[in-house]
Amino acid sequence: MAYNSILDWVKFTDPMTSSGYPYGDVYNLPYDIGYKIWELISGLIAWLIDLIVPGNEVSTFLTETPLLTNLLSITLMVVVIFAVGFIVNLTMIWEERKVLGRMMDRRATRVGPLGYFQNLADGLKTFLKENITPSSADKKGYMWALTILIGTSVLLAFMIPLSGRWFIVDYRTGLLILFGLFAIAPFMILVAGWSQNNKYTLLGGMRAAAQMISYEVPMLIIFASVALMAGSLNINDIVNAQHEYMWYIIPQFLGFIVFIIAAIAEAERIPFDLPEAEAELVEGWQTEYSGMK
Amino acid sequence: MADMWVTMGPQHPFSHGLWTLKVRVDGEVVKDAIPVIGYLHRGWEKECENRTYPLIIPMADRLCYSASMTWSHVYCKVVEEAMGIELSDRAKYLRVVADEICRLQSHLMWLAAMGTDLGNLTVFLWALREREFFLDLNVKLCGQRLTTNYPRLGGVRNDMPYFFERDCMRAVNRFEKVLWEIIGLTDESSIFLSRMRDVGVISRKDAANYGLTGPTMRGCGVDFDVRRDDPYCNYDLLDWEVPVCKEGDAYARYKVRIEEMFQSCEIIRQAMAKLDSIPKTDPIRVKAPRNVPAGTHFARVEDPRGESLMYLVSDGTDRPYRLKVRSPIFVNVSASKHLVQGVRIADIPAIMGTIDMCLGETDR
Amino acid sequence: MPLKYLDKFPKKNNARTLWVLKPMWVTLKKMFKTTFHRPVTIMYPYEKEWVPDNYRGRPGLRFDKCIGCGICKKMCPTTCITMVDSDDNGRTVQRPQVNLGRCMMCGYCAEYCPVNAMIVTPDYELAAYTREELIYGPRKLAWPNSTEMMEVHMEGHLLSDLKKGKNEKISLHCVDVIGLIDGKCIGCTRCVKVCPTEAIEMHTYGEDEKGKPKKFPLFDRQKCVCCERCMDVCPKDAIELKEVL
Repeated sequence: MAYNSILDWVKFTDPMTSSGYPYGDVYNLPYDIGYKIWELISGLIAWLIDLIVPGNEVSTFLTETPLLTNLLSITLMVVVIFAVGFIVNLTMIWEERKVLGRMMDRRATRVGPLGYFQNLADGLKTFLKENITPSSADKKGYMWALTILIGTSVLLAFMIPLSGRWFIVDYRTGLLILFGLFAIAPFMILVAGWSQNNKYTLLGGMRAAAQMISYEVPMLIIFASVALMAGSLNINDIVNAQHEYMWYIIPQFLGFIVFIIAAIAEAERIPFDLPEAEAELVEGWQTEYSGMK
Repeated sequence: MADMWVTMGPQHPFSHGLWTLKVRVDGEVVKDAIPVIGYLHRGWEKECENRTYPLIIPMADRLCYSASMTWSHVYCKVVEEAMGIELSDRAKYLRVVADEICRLQSHLMWLAAMGTDLGNLTVFLWALREREFFLDLNVKLCGQRLTTNYPRLGGVRNDMPYFFERDCMRAVNRFEKVLWEIIGLTDESSIFLSRMRDVGVISRKDAANYGLTGPTMRGCGVDFDVRRDDPYCNYDLLDWEVPVCKEGDAYARYKVRIEEMFQSCEIIRQAMAKLDSIPKTDPIRVKAPRNVPAGTHFARVEDPRGESLMYLVSDGTDRPYRLKVRSPIFVNVSASKHLVQGVRIADIPAIMGTIDMCLGETDR
Repeated sequence: MPLKYLDKFPKKNNARTLWVLKPMWVTLKKMFKTTFHRPVTIMYPYEKEWVPDNYRGRPGLRFDKCIGCGICKKMCPTTCITMVDSDDNGRTVQRPQVNLGRCMMCGYCAEYCPVNAMIVTPDYELAAYTREELIYGPRKLAWPNSTEMMEVHMEGHLLSDLKKGKNEKISLHCVDVIGLIDGKCIGCTRCVKVCPTEAIEMHTYGEDEKGKPKKFPLFDRQKCVCCERCMDVCPKDAIELKEVL
């Protein structure tokens, strides 16, 4: 019997040539990574099954069907992008905590080498806490507000391309969709704060809604002016237009400064942390969300 | 929006202790406030009736745990007045040094808490770092950091060790430089100024009518300090100033406390110099009688938080018949309704932080 | 002494405060300083802060020196000390047992101990799993390397001495005079058995009606530590303590 080596099954073909490649003629790096990971997994499983039962159909199904390949590559691509975003976020938080600690004349974050795993430890601790729902809270609003809020934020994060070949979707009207998703956030925060049946969260939610709505207006004006200069709402086109002209920060430096301030206010970071003012409102509109919620 | 009562309840980050402030809020503007205290009532005055006189000194320390030296000082002062004992010079200056170290560390604790109330966590850590030096001084003097149990009926517990003067001068000299650094973080920042200015204003007349004491009162323009106007322990022989501010807002009270810290450093320096000149054989402790003659006496001392007063009714035995404590915060917190009129909820921590609540003495 | 700070603040020229730039500059300076030199943190529990010998941690007992007088029990503000029997080469001497759950570390037991058997130790790490573990009997209270700084001496002057002009610092432990009130003693010798330093001796001074010898106690002032155990146990309250001030 001929010995079928694994290389028969794991064929690293060019993803752009497979049928069902969703991005046309633009090379997409995370899709490529997901494609290769799926090929590895499927090839391994197919080779193992082929060793036991040579010439079966499951192996060919796993490796040859373009629909399955496509679907799972996209899934893995999303996982890759999420993982990269997650690790970058962790690194930024770690760096901020370390620097803040040194400013206060103390050593910060001690878990792991140079304290890198402190955020993972904190996340693990939060996972292990109990999810308490207040009995007199409005259940639907309580749960759905958070879900929609986090969901739209993640959608927003996925819509922004990090380079010419690192993106998930590339809509022609990408910026417009961003506008829409931004607008949901303050409303959901208000619902979250209100549904917890707690005067503090109500105050926090109202403050947060007021702040976020008011700081959205300058932000969206800046978006509009950038889109005007580039002539398109597609984010990739805006980037390319800056290649030809010059970085838009130079003619629009005022817009840049305003955008930075508005973005800090949207994220409720210090000094705009009135909704989450720890001194008087404990956690603001997040007071009753314990545990992983 | 209709008026609603928000309970800034017993468990709250800004409260420094267990007390409730119920505020009536119209939107974000405060209309009314009711302070509710009594969560920490331990029955101190009743417990004192069961103990002999020397045993109450460590209990008096725990009345206000962050200003423990002054509370045991006021207790020893009232019993010494009942017994008719006069302290020697060395004991007086030792008590002065201990009191001023206590004042410094209590004000530093207040500054740290003030920083957290406003969200400024750096001031919190820097002030606590400075406070550690004074707590170490306490350790060298009498063995414990906070509840020192240092004054005794008739003097103080022990003389200062031979290295104490060097360490004390080092700490005080270093502290004066670092305090300017900390001021650079708070006072010279526009955010701090805009949060503390014109907030929680109380006029001079109202302050006197409510009976406010201490830096809360001196920040409104009333010029009274027990150390200068009713002197004890040779405070009138030392050269120092009483800071007074006219405006009456939270910033004025803050300024008064910072200046008090600088003046305390001065007092410590002069008292140490005087201690140098008094020979070491001067008595530091006199044996006090067991039974206190019957009568009523009171004594008052300038606490970091105001004027603390103890009233003793003795009946000739070795246990007090009644020992009443008048705590400054108990009176200051009664003015909270007046202080928070018309401000936003976000200003309440700033205002109540300047009163410097210490629940141990309020609830006893 | 002029005011150091009040006259200068708030700065009249608000532009000199430079908005928030001064605080940012101060924190940046501190950040650079602590990155090159270490910050002021002490990494407890890997490093511990040095405590001096006279630090008032938990009380300690020097087993051999304790005479079982019970003054520490009388002077404890929280009444956390009880006297328990402990054997001492055949004899039972009552030694203190401290309930550290109630102890407020005031140091009175060490201060009032006439033989300096109770000391203050620099031991502050006292966590235990149950409340019963916190009750330290006489053997558990030992602190092996006790130094002289751990003793607390109660020294002072007597007002009568100062009036006479005598400036002499004495130990305030055994100053009071113990004496017998005339006519009340019945010669039961309970005080002799209870005295920890054997300062009482019974003397006979004649015979009463039935022929039994009449006894009265004689107190040795040098040995008496004023623990008042004889006063507590006397059935007729015939012993009194005269204060020497």
